[in-house]
Amino acid sequence: MHFTEIDGVLLKSMLSSGYNNLMKNVKLIDSLNVFPVPDGDTGTNMSLTWEGGLRAIASADANLTDDVDNCLQLFSRGALLNARGNSGVILSQFVKGLADFAKGLSVFSIDDFTAALASGSAKAYGSVIKPTEGTMLTVLRQTAEYAKKIHNDHHHFTQFFTEIVAAMKSSLERTPELLPVLKEAGVVDSGGAGLLCIFEGMLCALNGEKIEEANFTVKPSSSSIDPAATFTRNSVLEYGYCTEFILRLMDAKVDVDNFEIKTIIGFLEIHGDSIVAIKDDDIVKVHVHTFTPGEILNYCQRFGEFITLKIENMSVQHSEASVQSSPKKKYGVIAVCSGDGIKDYFSSIGVDYVINGGQTQNPSMEEFIKAYESINADDIFVFPNNSNIILVARQSAEHYKGAVIHIIPTKSIAEGYSALSMMDLSRDNAAEVIEDMMYALDNVSTALVSMAVRDTTYNGIEIKKDYYIGLDKDTIYSCDADRVNAACQLIDKIDNIENKQVITLFYGEDVTEDEVSVLFDRINEKYPLLETGAIYGGQKVYDFIMAIE
Amino acid sequence: MKKYVIIADSTCDLDADILKQYDIDYAKMGYVVDEKEYPAALEWDVISANEYYNMMRSGKKIRTLQVSGETFKEKFNYYIEQNVDILYIGCSSALSGSVNLGAIIARDLMAEHPEVTIRVIDTKISSLGQGHLVLTAARMRDEGKTLEEVAEYIESIKLTVNQFGTVDSMEYLKRAGRIKASKAFFGNLFGIKPIIISDVIGQNYAVKKVKGSYNSKLEIAKSVAECVIDSENQTLYISHADCIEEANVLRQEILKLAKFKDVYVNYIGPIVGASVGPGTLIAYCVGKEVTIEGKE
Repeated sequence: MHFTEIDGVLLKSMLSSGYNNLMKNVKLIDSLNVFPVPDGDTGTNMSLTWEGGLRAIASADANLTDDVDNCLQLFSRGALLNARGNSGVILSQFVKGLADFAKGLSVFSIDDFTAALASGSAKAYGSVIKPTEGTMLTVLRQTAEYAKKIHNDHHHFTQFFTEIVAAMKSSLERTPELLPVLKEAGVVDSGGAGLLCIFEGMLCALNGEKIEEANFTVKPSSSSIDPAATFTRNSVLEYGYCTEFILRLMDAKVDVDNFEIKTIIGFLEIHGDSIVAIKDDDIVKVHVHTFTPGEILNYCQRFGEFITLKIENMSVQHSEASVQSSPKKKYGVIAVCSGDGIKDYFSSIGVDYVINGGQTQNPSMEEFIKAYESINADDIFVFPNNSNIILVARQSAEHYKGAVIHIIPTKSIAEGYSALSMMDLSRDNAAEVIEDMMYALDNVSTALVSMAVRDTTYNGIEIKKDYYIGLDKDTIYSCDADRVNAACQLIDKIDNIENKQVITLFYGEDVTEDEVSVLFDRINEKYPLLETGAIYGGQKVYDFIMAIE
Repeated sequence: MKKYVIIADSTCDLDADILKQYDIDYAKMGYVVDEKEYPAALEWDVISANEYYNMMRSGKKIRTLQVSGETFKEKFNYYIEQNVDILYIGCSSALSGSVNLGAIIARDLMAEHPEVTIRVIDTKISSLGQGHLVLTAARMRDEGKTLEEVAEYIESIKLTVNQFGTVDSMEYLKRAGRIKASKAFFGNLFGIKPIIISDVIGQNYAVKKVKGSYNSKLEIAKSVAECVIDSENQTLYISHADCIEEANVLRQEILKLAKFKDVYVNYIGPIVGASVGPGTLIAYCVGKEVTIEGKE
């Protein structure tokens, strides 16, 4: 087939074909992990992000997405709200860049598409504070550059796209040359690999090839309980209405481009709470809890018309899932973690809301926003506890207006523990609370022990499959058939260990208390001034998580 | 000028020699172990400090008793019979009922013996913070100041005595109900050391937390250095619950930051010891007036 342009219909089939191909390879991409630890999740994160985009398209009226502009607007919004992990955020921003360029276009020509790729690449770079070369960012950029180089030679998308995909593939294969950790681990960048899968899937759609469909489940948006049973003629409207809508700003009503979202937020704040309001070009997405949805709808209709609208009585919802309605407090605390023991323990030291997640399971922006909504506080402190979750947490904070969200950049459970343990909510203001915690973060080292999943050599250490490796956030320091040995050797390598005072150990679900006491005996013998304490974490993957302070 | 005696109680934590040297008497509180009652002697003559704290380390529960009415009556009457006035400088009323009971008994005895003056001071502090006030009073008496002059002066300076302490475990203080702690201290926090001050009403208040035992000493040293006024003419007081090496580390850290005239180190006595637990370290100095009131 010889397409000279891509319209909305073709684009949709390319996007879903890209998803199908990504899903076919998701396990493979997850396994492209720098460390031989079974915690890779890039494939999962990228597919969940992409799926969010597809779901947004699927739930919209089909003829609304017949042009590439509308199609990509919807897709990029859905992708952003469902973005997980750094790879997901970067991917969603790439799509946003495509969508930005597509504005006003009904179809993509090869020239358009080339420029859109450049816009996507630039947007993706902009989403990361410190871009690293040798990652999917490089793959995106080099692909866009290659497209620019060859686009004049082509009149048909099929051949053009085939060459782009080939360039993307060789760019991906070069990532180990740019990023030593990849080379040492003998893998290519996982995010770039995910991207290649998506593009290969898109190419299949251009070639008219079908990829076996990977189904995703569209979650029902409203509850299926019988409303009559929970809200009777005698009930009191206790919680108001959860009101969500998408409004398209209309030229006839308002200066769309210069319309400021705070015009709406100001009104929402008077009539409700738990507010999320996002403006993206001519689309405004609003979430608000209010007793008078009519007032808000009337007000907002002054600026545009509704595309979707959902109003739910929260007293009805309340009987099913609990919606927080406690009096507003000064501070709220949210932590991302997994493992029964860790969750319970974090709750006992001041965490109000636990988002289930971690290395292999990155929560989405929507999950963060749900957490913000359920905590009625002026200032909310968020502990992502994983370097791959911080970016999504930051994005979610930018989009939430109901409270001041402070993202404490904790990169591990150990860092999260360290910061939480020094948290003092009797402080007068959030800046002071944060200062205490940042001070703690400066001084904590993370030490982890996990089982290796493959043979490899790293940092001059020979690693055998099924042996235990000791690592900190960046490097592997030990490998031993016994996990206590691996832990002891690791501790010797911890920076400034002779001046550390406290080791707090979270032990995993497979570890016995006897092993913990053997480990502590050995630590105490060698480092008599180090205080040791153990907490059952119940986590998977990591047998020992140690915060060394 | 009429002769008067200075009486402290079992929480002033001065040692036997200095009590003797300055002619300071004290009203004994008591403690109960295994249903048996013992006098809380600062001389550690019945049981040594080390034995006492080892008993606590082994998990023995110790209950403390304030100065009994009987003890006060006996002690006060002993001096009244010799026509000697009395200045009782007692433990913070937020920590012990002794000073209130002492005041009631003093009022009754003064009614019976109008010629006698008994003045009672609630020091709003304990251990060597109280000890410092008692010593100051004794020195003034030896310089010839009247009971009234001394009492007024001690009242006027008592809130300038600052306490900065830390404990191995908050359990003892919590069990004894002798601590107020902020929201910083919820949950079971491992390796966390509270910094405990004596607040404006004389209760122990955990104002902040630090991680690690050495860091807690650095924090106390920093707090002392920031708070102290005219340290070069002052005594630095350090009391410890059977951890002399730790006390010496603390002393070194403080002296790195502030120069003192001299340093007085002693055991925390059995009464304060029972509610803070072994491993407790406290520094006292005279500085800015305490204004904080602890809140939960």
